[in-house]
Amino acid sequence: MSPEIICAVATPEGTSALSVIRISGSGSFELLENIMSLEKNRLRGMRRKVGRIFQEGRTVDEVVAVSWPRGSSFTGEEMVEIICHGIPRSIRTIMEILIKNGARRAGPGEFARRAFGNERLSAVQIIALAALWDTEREQTTLNGEAENSCMELLSGIESAREAVEGFIEFGEAHLDGDDDAIGKVYDELIGRAGVFKREAASIEKRGRVMLMGPMNSGKSTLFNLLSGEGRALVSGEPGTTRDGSTCIIEVSGRKVQLCDTAGTDGLGLDRTASEAVIDGLDGTERVIWMSVGGKTPPPGEVRKKAGEIIEIAAKSDLDGRRETADLLNVSSISGEGLEELKTMLSRVPGSMSLSGVADRISGSIEESFNFISSGEYGLAAELLSEAEIETRRILSRGENIQLSVERALSGMCVGK
Amino acid sequence: MIDTWDVIVVGGGHAGIEAALAARRTGCTVVLISAKANRIGEMSCNPAIGGIAKGTIVREIDALDGSMARSADATSLHFRMLNRRKGPAVWGPRVQSDAAEYARAQQLYIENSGIAVVEDEVTGLSGDTERVSGVKCRRSGRVKGKTVVLAAGTFLRGRLFRGDERWKGGRIGDISADALERDLVKRMFHVERFKTGTPARIVRSSVNTAELEVQRSEDTDFTFSFGKGLQERDQEVCYITHTDINTMNIARDYLHLSPLMEGRIEGTGPRYCPSYEDKVVKFPDRQRHRIYVEPMGYKSRDFYLNGLSTSLPREAQIKMVRSLRGFEGAEITDYGYAVEYSYFHFSEIADTLRLRKTENVFAAGQICGTSGYEEAAGLGLVAGANAARTSKNQEPLKLSRMNSYIGVMIDDIVSKGADEPYRMFSSRAENRLHLRQDNADRRLYLSGKRFGILSEEKRDLLSANLKEAELIWSVLESKTAGGMRLSKWCRRPGVTVEAVGALAESLVERDQKVLLSVLLDEKYRGYIERNLRRHESNRNLGSINLREIGSYMEIDEICWEAREVLERERPETLAGAERIPGIRPTDLHGLLIYLGRQRST
Repeated sequence: MSPEIICAVATPEGTSALSVIRISGSGSFELLENIMSLEKNRLRGMRRKVGRIFQEGRTVDEVVAVSWPRGSSFTGEEMVEIICHGIPRSIRTIMEILIKNGARRAGPGEFARRAFGNERLSAVQIIALAALWDTEREQTTLNGEAENSCMELLSGIESAREAVEGFIEFGEAHLDGDDDAIGKVYDELIGRAGVFKREAASIEKRGRVMLMGPMNSGKSTLFNLLSGEGRALVSGEPGTTRDGSTCIIEVSGRKVQLCDTAGTDGLGLDRTASEAVIDGLDGTERVIWMSVGGKTPPPGEVRKKAGEIIEIAAKSDLDGRRETADLLNVSSISGEGLEELKTMLSRVPGSMSLSGVADRISGSIEESFNFISSGEYGLAAELLSEAEIETRRILSRGENIQLSVERALSGMCVGK
Repeated sequence: MIDTWDVIVVGGGHAGIEAALAARRTGCTVVLISAKANRIGEMSCNPAIGGIAKGTIVREIDALDGSMARSADATSLHFRMLNRRKGPAVWGPRVQSDAAEYARAQQLYIENSGIAVVEDEVTGLSGDTERVSGVKCRRSGRVKGKTVVLAAGTFLRGRLFRGDERWKGGRIGDISADALERDLVKRMFHVERFKTGTPARIVRSSVNTAELEVQRSEDTDFTFSFGKGLQERDQEVCYITHTDINTMNIARDYLHLSPLMEGRIEGTGPRYCPSYEDKVVKFPDRQRHRIYVEPMGYKSRDFYLNGLSTSLPREAQIKMVRSLRGFEGAEITDYGYAVEYSYFHFSEIADTLRLRKTENVFAAGQICGTSGYEEAAGLGLVAGANAARTSKNQEPLKLSRMNSYIGVMIDDIVSKGADEPYRMFSSRAENRLHLRQDNADRRLYLSGKRFGILSEEKRDLLSANLKEAELIWSVLESKTAGGMRLSKWCRRPGVTVEAVGALAESLVERDQKVLLSVLLDEKYRGYIERNLRRHESNRNLGSINLREIGSYMEIDEICWEAREVLERERPETLAGAERIPGIRPTDLHGLLIYLGRQRST
């Protein structure tokens, strides 16, 4: 069974000179040939046809249809782009006609998702593509630089594995102990891992951290302290922060989006606000859960939805400190625990993100080298193979969609 | 004489011996048919057993009660633990055996186990291919059997080559099983050609060993067999010499007379055990190759030249040998030669080593496309066990690739095949850190017991080892060191058996080999578990059966190229399909969707 035909307007809403509607999926040619009353197979291949779209005998618009055959289009499927006049009413009508003839309105990122599924785009490319949409970003280009450095990394891992496996299988028989060779291979590899780590951090969307906890536990004070601005409205009265506030902070070279929230203890004054906060948890890598003295644990629904929770015993200056390993004592007044918290934030986003994976890969490579030095070639090879699998997964086209990719896709506009 | 045998084994090499013995251990009646009974168990090439990964296979064979390990131990002249400096996960035990004594030891196992030996040439299967009734022999006529194991090694239309000499034979001085190959081809089995070779044997007294680097045996109480230690026996030394520019130039001068280069041999040779002329062609910049000089037996007249396999003409061989340091006056007893032979294409072989076209014929050893004594013996043991179980209508023995090298090997052979003779490497095993030589007994005990291939004696011995390991483990769990449980403490780098013994006195009295093995389990545990989790999804793919699919050509969910490849390769499971080159993840998803729909209709 072939997937459905999807369609979407690829240009911004509103009146413009021209607008583009994209159609993708097997059968797209035939659909367009029908509604444009073209002869059969006129759009087969890579073609450009001028024609009219009719509805009940009346011309809706005069359009240009550009077609790409399977295998050479953006999505990898049969694909047509209609260039029409940028008149909202006629665009709407064309969309209706398409849908009546069997197409379906595409969801956000669905074209890119199909491109990914059909191995036309890799995970790295999608994330870079999503970053292009992100207005906060400057200087991101879709030239595949990150992909290139990821490929370089992969080939470096492969040659290191070859060298190590060669030493294991044939070291006794053929080589007269050329340990320098292995050292050189690793030097080169560790360098490549560093390059990729930097590229990954620079193209990835920011990680998101939600600051949560019962009312009046000092979230906004901490938020302001971390953001360095007086952005959240702060007072000692419970329930001051209603809508939440957002800032971008930079910790150890990583950008993290920090969201302040209304108090959430599940019982609070404002049940609706609580629920909104919890709904907002989707796509959040980490939650900072703070309560005075760490006395209120995060409720189950937060635990369930949050990627990872950093628990804070707040107001450690006032309420006494807690000596448990899984609680971080923080005081916005004395500054206790702030540095630790920042370090933890710099590791956001969590393990599933591109830069998280890049960190892990480079960690595995370094550990692998240590095992060579301590004469554990089996373990060294094992860690290289872990690094290789992770790297391949990043480069993989069409399988194992990762969280970052999923998020990148859902953040795209509909026509992509 | 028995009218219908439970198991007929064709061939008395390393595969045939283990097949016959394994079948016999399950209580079956077994006949082994060999062209020359006095050459049963012969080491046709080098006089050594084991090596990296191969040594672990030998340990696995012993854990399943095969005879290879015991015969190697009993005839050992020289022992080395390869990769000693590269960590216990990749250690490879290897012995030099006295070749003549080794063959005799193996023959004694056959003789003493109640296996009938028939000296004859098998000329074909008898009866329908789907369910054969036995084999046809040149002199004895039909031999009836419920099952057949083919372990013909390099004998299927074997052709020997040396320079422009060319003659028939499975190895020097032996017949070629031309009639059997004809019969198999007539029955539409898909066979292809491989080649392999062997170096010249040198008169020991003609070599000036004083000129050579000496390689002594390691002083150790290691034995391949998990049984009792070995009695002291005389050791030999090996020597090392090197080829140089002269050797290379001689080979080059005669290259035009090489049957390989001339194209008279079509079969592909083993990439990892290449002939010297292959090395000269492939590594033209490398003049120096290391050559191990190994005695064929204790005080034997002959040396084996490990690393100088060749099929160049005699004239070239003697010149090449004499170009080696210490070999200036060397005399050759047997010249090296190449052998080309037929083997079954992997599409013919099921994961029980049964030939797919049949219900009751199994294959093992080089005719499955492998190379090496150890690989052959491992396959033989499984094929023999499965022939025996088929004769009794019992479920077949299958070994997981996550739990043994034998499992890795069979899975590789039946799902991927090989475009050169398949040699075992440790890197072929995803779970290498677990598949160590030290724990083969504990890894395979349950399989051996459940499938009834352990003698009572072996079963008791292995189960005692298992109990010993549990006891050691409980001590490690109960004692602490530096506020840490000992079981955790011993994961630190550089922890030795002695260090642990110093912390828990009761461990000093325990079996130190088992103690080391348990310590290694702990050392690698974290990595092994992580690795297994990673392969979980692949294992799931492995449980999805594709055998029911009639024709791939009709499956719309997968692309055309994939349909053709799958139709040709016919993988057993989805994991098998995944490993076929050219099959993409989208095709696997397509197959899943197709299977799901089939199930719902």
